[in-house]
Amino acid sequence: MTAGLLLLLGGMVFLGGSALAAFYWSIQDGQLDHLGEAARTIFDEDEPVGTATDKFPSRK
Amino acid sequence: MNPHSLIASFHPANEPDTLASHERAEIDASTRFPVLLFFGSAIFWLLAGSLLGLVAAWKMTHPAMLDQMAWTTFGRLRPAHLNTVIYGWASASGIGVGLWLMARLCRIPLIHSRLLISAAIFWNIGVLVGVLGILAGDSRSIEWLEIPGYATPILFVAYAFIGVWAVIMFRYRKPGHVYVSQWYLFAAFLWFPWLYATANILLIWQPIQGSAQGAVNWWFAHNVLGLWFTPIGLASAYYLIPKIIGRPIHSYYLSILGFWSLALFYSWNGMHHLIGGPFPVWMVSASVVASVMMFIPVVTVAINHHMTMLGHFDALKWSPALRFTVFGAMSYTLASLQGTTMAIPSLNTFTHFTDYTIGHAHLGLYAFFSMAMFGAMYYIVPRLTGREWPSASAIRWHFWLVASGILLMIGSLTIGGALQGLAQHGLAGSFKSSLEYATPFRWLRGISGFLLLAGHLVFATLFALMLLKPARRKDGPALLAATAEANPEPAI
Repeated sequence: MTAGLLLLLGGMVFLGGSALAAFYWSIQDGQLDHLGEAARTIFDEDEPVGTATDKFPSRK
Repeated sequence: MNPHSLIASFHPANEPDTLASHERAEIDASTRFPVLLFFGSAIFWLLAGSLLGLVAAWKMTHPAMLDQMAWTTFGRLRPAHLNTVIYGWASASGIGVGLWLMARLCRIPLIHSRLLISAAIFWNIGVLVGVLGILAGDSRSIEWLEIPGYATPILFVAYAFIGVWAVIMFRYRKPGHVYVSQWYLFAAFLWFPWLYATANILLIWQPIQGSAQGAVNWWFAHNVLGLWFTPIGLASAYYLIPKIIGRPIHSYYLSILGFWSLALFYSWNGMHHLIGGPFPVWMVSASVVASVMMFIPVVTVAINHHMTMLGHFDALKWSPALRFTVFGAMSYTLASLQGTTMAIPSLNTFTHFTDYTIGHAHLGLYAFFSMAMFGAMYYIVPRLTGREWPSASAIRWHFWLVASGILLMIGSLTIGGALQGLAQHGLAGSFKSSLEYATPFRWLRGISGFLLLAGHLVFATLFALMLLKPARRKDGPALLAATAEANPEPAI
């Protein structure tokens, strides 16, 4: 077996495994609980829900 | 800000520090140099790629044009166009957007910016050497992998740097929820170096034999779209749409389902390019099934974006970033559903080997991805430079030029391609007439290239003014106080 194939087989197992591990972690860590609140994590006091944050520049 | 050496940041035994709390503006500012470097080079390659594409397009109707010099023959210009826009424009703009989003979503200032600056330098050298190599006649004639072998390691180094950086950023992120955009970005930054390395090992370093090369080729080429550009484009849309209109994603559950189903199904799709080819039937069939299963992630995204926008469509009038992003998001749905139908073997026999496929490719890479990147840049650049865009009407010109250009291109290629397919099957004249059917539509496609190039020139000028012009500086990041009510300009 060539070095290239060994490298690829190892990589495949690692990458596939990492996807499963990431999914498992996301469940264990509670990432998939309270999904409704999770959608609000990109908002904060500065830029709360209900505030638009982009517009065309105004004319002089 | 650089809390540790690179090795220390990456070493698993090293506990990540808790970094102090940071303001959004501070995080944005920390990304300034690397992100603007990637954006600037992306826009340079966009102009180069548009020009190459324009000349290649007119050669379809004027075959004798510029045929005296080997460098400007179609067989070199066309792959040079493809690689310039894929690796030069789309990847670099995607990386720039990804860096900014990663920093915002990790809620920490960007660390190890020197790693990213080196990546950007390697990147540009790799694309330059690669595209010049193609023009000089060193193309490897493997679609999407034409860049000659002496340039690919340079590109790989750049990709790998970014992958390493993404791991470090993710490690040092603020505790809390990992937003859906971050899943997409982190995955894209890890998947792409792997895709690129695998394809190069199996096709160049230790080439596998025979038709299996075709399978690797299309596994790679389709995954560039599906596991590199798509996640970055969706990450941007999933962040910017709710952020701009100030409304959380309609169904966060669907967004997570969409991510994991994309991860599960997309990498199987490539073989649908080889329907009818010399492959075991199961390989192609599995790919066709996976292509149909792509319906799930696509529809989750489509429902989510539409329902989030519902009742807020007037925002398209006052937000330039949103206008481009929503154009991109709608095109994503269209491109993906069209792709699913094109994977169905009975339809594929008609669309394969016609301009229909070229239209589909531009729907995905331009109408979806490039428009999403324009939108993101309109949002990001003012926050990095602290200035407003210099001209609202120039932004409108940019939008309408490229929107009409790309719609004309896709429309003409799709109709011309469908007629070609019918003629090739003897359902609309002879096989030879397939060429005659295509010609007028190729003229229209050539015209659309001028519209796109003009739009890109407007955008490049705007970007250059943002970097160079010192006028109109505001105190905080520009545009932060904008609201729908405060905007006096409903004009489209």
